[in-house]
Amino acid sequence: MIRVADLQKRFGAVTAVDGVSFEARDGAITGLLGPNGAGKTTTLRMLYAVMKPDAGRIAVDDVDAVRAPQEAQARLGVLPDGFGLYPRLTAREHIQYFGELQGIAGAALHRRTAELLRLLDMTAIADRRTGGFSHGERTKVALARALVHDPRNVLLDEPTNGLDVMSTRAVRLIVRRLRDAGHCVLFSSHVMQEVSALCDSIVVIAAGRVVALGTPDELRARTGHGSLEDAFVALTGLERTTDEE
Amino acid sequence: MARTVRQVIVVVRKELRDSLRDGRALFSIAFTVVIGPVLIGFMMNRVADRQREAEEVRLPVVGQEHAPALVQWLRQQSGIEIASGPVDAEQAVRERTEDVVVVIVPEFADRFRVSRPATVKLVADSSRAAARPKVERVRRLLQRYSAEIGSLRLIARGVSPQAMTPLQLEEVEVSTAQQRAAQVLNFIPMFIILAAFVGGLQIATDSTAGERERGSLEPLLVNPAPRAVFAVGKCLAAALMAMVTVALSTALCANIPRFLPLEDMGIRFRIAPAQFGAIMAGVLPMCLFSASLQACIATMARSFKEAQSYMGVLILLPMLPGMMSSVYTLSDAPWMYAVPMLGQHVLLAGVMGGRWPPAAAFVVAALVSLFAAALLIRLTTGLFRSERIIFGR
Repeated sequence: MIRVADLQKRFGAVTAVDGVSFEARDGAITGLLGPNGAGKTTTLRMLYAVMKPDAGRIAVDDVDAVRAPQEAQARLGVLPDGFGLYPRLTAREHIQYFGELQGIAGAALHRRTAELLRLLDMTAIADRRTGGFSHGERTKVALARALVHDPRNVLLDEPTNGLDVMSTRAVRLIVRRLRDAGHCVLFSSHVMQEVSALCDSIVVIAAGRVVALGTPDELRARTGHGSLEDAFVALTGLERTTDEE
Repeated sequence: MARTVRQVIVVVRKELRDSLRDGRALFSIAFTVVIGPVLIGFMMNRVADRQREAEEVRLPVVGQEHAPALVQWLRQQSGIEIASGPVDAEQAVRERTEDVVVVIVPEFADRFRVSRPATVKLVADSSRAAARPKVERVRRLLQRYSAEIGSLRLIARGVSPQAMTPLQLEEVEVSTAQQRAAQVLNFIPMFIILAAFVGGLQIATDSTAGERERGSLEPLLVNPAPRAVFAVGKCLAAALMAMVTVALSTALCANIPRFLPLEDMGIRFRIAPAQFGAIMAGVLPMCLFSASLQACIATMARSFKEAQSYMGVLILLPMLPGMMSSVYTLSDAPWMYAVPMLGQHVLLAGVMGGRWPPAAAFVVAALVSLFAAALLIRLTTGLFRSERIIFGR
């Protein structure tokens, strides 16, 4: 469960996030939808406590992420935008490194690592160095290490960006499984089809503000547009159309 | 607290494992460890060669017919072989076809006969260090011949030759053989300190500037650990690598006498276990300082490339005391122990020169290094908290 209230972040003269508020429930996939530069990544970075908000509150399972960032981080599994791996370490070593940092060790870590390798269908590449991995394989490694401590809440920043069809499906499958297991999944994307296919509720962000909240159906109904794409364009003001008086 | 310590160990283990798989980095470390002793061996061999050259001198003499007695006397000296001189002596020396040429002028015989100073030219190039021992040898021989003839002339005139030596110069050498050896082997402290510096370089840059450039810093910082864990872990891993490098380098230097004929050259050089221990005690604390300095500067750099170019400048630092000591004589003033790297240089030179520094000097040098390292790690922790640094804005 993640609750965000009136989040603000400025970089110099630019206000990147300007009063964002929303809620992501447990057992649901929440989509953070918005065009590039809308403030999605900045919002997520404040959620997983590598950026400090200028104002606003963030609660991760009732832990104040601003005041107790590490406690919040322990409850989060994060796949950041443009993540990197260590090319000289194997997939298994990546998972174990993050597991150990999370405080898991010994037999428990071995068991969890094997479980993730199976879940993400990467047993065959588990002991290969990641230097030569494809983008899809790299995403799986990053996802596995983010989930090593079985976090209640999962934040994914554009996880399917640049993936081929098979890898995209694999990621979606994992996301649905996490939801079905009762996790809170927050998922950012600038692709409407993806969000509408996957998410239970959508937060539309444009220019650092939340411009709409609701289920895909609600959003369609509210804007009077049949397709979510038209709704998105109307909501984000990317195109000045009929809504203007 | 226990959890934080465990996390530091996890970071250290990961960085060491990662770096031990970096072939190129290991090569550069191996190169640094080996290059010192190899260069020293090369230089010592040159010194030995030159000494031998001074003992076996082939001496071209121009105008031998003007002073047959002098030439005969020279020929009788051990290791001197008289050769016929070149047409243009100065030209030959300038072009380095000859190291030294003796020219006896045509008026020599006439002036010699009437006991007037007769000119003998010693043609040499004083800018050539390699020829210096040979020139010195020839100069001393000519002076001796001059003194002998002078004495004979005085005796012939009924004067005691002693009247001509109002001063008797007696040189008293105060440095022990061990100290003279340290002077020749002055480069060893520099190479050991350099090894400390190069040993930690790869981890210090790759785990900071490299980590950010790969995009792996952000995911790493999402783990629930205080930022100090990462700063301490990375600096510690780099320092450990530096320490191993120093130990290897020192061990190799200790084996120099095995492959160099130092004894033949009258040099006693030995790194006994006691000295090895003292060198480690002197340098190991500095490893933490140099690794932290590298990590801190690399974290500040905007890119891996920028970090590397800073390291290129930084590497001059450990070489500075060594280079200075070859120009000035670094007398070991107490304040020097308190300057990282300079202090270690003075400590090491002392240990190897047989002038053991006081224990307090080791303590001061270590404390300064550790204190400076602590400050730098704190600074790096602060950098890891800064959004500008994490995201490279």
